[in-house]
Amino acid sequence: MIWAKNSIKILFCTSFMLIQLSASAQSYVGRNVKAAIFSSTPIEDIRAVSVNGTAAIISKTKEVVVQIPIKSLTFDRKLMQEHFNENYMESDKYPQAKFKGTIDQDIDFSKAGEYNVTVTGTLSIHGVDKVRTIPGKLTIGDGVLQIFTEFKVACVDHKIKIPKLVITKIAEVISVKVDGKLNLLK
Amino acid sequence: MKTTGLLVIAFSIFLTQGFAQNADSLLRTLDSGKADTKVDAVFKSTRVVLSHSTETQKKHDLDLRIRHHFGDIGGRFGNAHTLYGLDVASDLFIGLDYGVTDDFTVAVGRSKQDELFNFSGKYKLLKQKSDGAMPVNLTMFAQLGLVAREPFTDSEFATYSNRFSYFFQALISRKISSRLSLQAMPGLLMRKNTSESRDPENLFSIGFAGRMKLTKRLSFVADYTLVNGLSRPTDLSQAYYNPLGVGLEIETGGHIFSLNFMNSEYILENNFIPGTKKNWGDGGVRFGFTISRNFTLFKSKNKDPDKASKIY
Repeated sequence: MIWAKNSIKILFCTSFMLIQLSASAQSYVGRNVKAAIFSSTPIEDIRAVSVNGTAAIISKTKEVVVQIPIKSLTFDRKLMQEHFNENYMESDKYPQAKFKGTIDQDIDFSKAGEYNVTVTGTLSIHGVDKVRTIPGKLTIGDGVLQIFTEFKVACVDHKIKIPKLVITKIAEVISVKVDGKLNLLK
Repeated sequence: MKTTGLLVIAFSIFLTQGFAQNADSLLRTLDSGKADTKVDAVFKSTRVVLSHSTETQKKHDLDLRIRHHFGDIGGRFGNAHTLYGLDVASDLFIGLDYGVTDDFTVAVGRSKQDELFNFSGKYKLLKQKSDGAMPVNLTMFAQLGLVAREPFTDSEFATYSNRFSYFFQALISRKISSRLSLQAMPGLLMRKNTSESRDPENLFSIGFAGRMKLTKRLSFVADYTLVNGLSRPTDLSQAYYNPLGVGLEIETGGHIFSLNFMNSEYILENNFIPGTKKNWGDGGVRFGFTISRNFTLFKSKNKDPDKASKIY
């Protein structure tokens, strides 16, 4: 009788563990997420790109996190890159740009296809947090997620000051594009 | 048997916590050891006031630099008669610095003093890392000077090689904080053209420099070079002084403007290290300025449309 009781207990625990394991298997992570910024004024266009972003999505909680190291954004003009880090982003103090939010729609992660989604959460750039709802595209494949988003960031929202002298060269609103592939975490 | 059951439960709880990760902690596992630890912008410019800094030109960047040293503010040659030195140009300099790579810069220039042409190379050997793996920057600098003026006496340039001087310097700097950078630079100047026999041809020097950022784009800069009393006697018939410069450095995009005060009449190391005859004490200080403009060359080589910038 005692023996039977214990086996039930063990069986229960084992199945509980298995459930947990299968739940954790619903995490997707991606390295080398591409992020591009674009500033456009009638005087000058400036572009920079990073391929060192990271992203994670948990299907159960619909949680999304994307993080870009500011110093990994490269410009074709190195001096401009140095000024970007030193004078505008202060990347020694604020090394990462990060968005953390949850998907607003109900998504069946087991069904392949393309979904237009919005993600509501906190965008933190230059040490300033801003609640944003960002539209994006989620493509579900076999153990693979593809994310794509394009949105705008106003420099003033994140206390990034543009001096009057260069106001004609740097846009007050910067376009941001993020593109990445996430794999099922095994 | 009961303890086994409890253990299993405890283990399963442990597992639950282990796997109930949120996206944040997942991301942290990806980020390990990926951060860029290179310390940037130890100095804003390749020069401090008189001396070089450990900075080199960025790859394919060409820096056009125009420098001016006016005359004595006070003393016998200054005051209102020369509008506090502004009537006088004790030295002028035009030069080009070009970044062959991010670490290697070549330069050419020409000064008014002695009609000196200079050719120099500068190589960044060590770079400071923020994780402590490398505490300092080390840049090696070598400069050849060629005096192009007519000789003052028949014997002055008896052989052509007497017109040359060679300057070698090791620049060691550290960005102490985002505001403060300090530098020390031992150097050796080899020359033939000395003013008197007791003045050695080989001059050892050691310089000290610093930058204090006042705002993001405005810095206070200073440098001092100790040369007299090091390998050179201090009781030469011509009195020489150690060059000391202080200034404000204003950076706006690709331009750097420096407004400086210094006792040295001359702009290049090959001139100001052996030849500074004025001193701060008796009005020998002067105003000087530097205008630097950076041009990025070979932009068409960049084929990545994501990085393309364009000036209309």
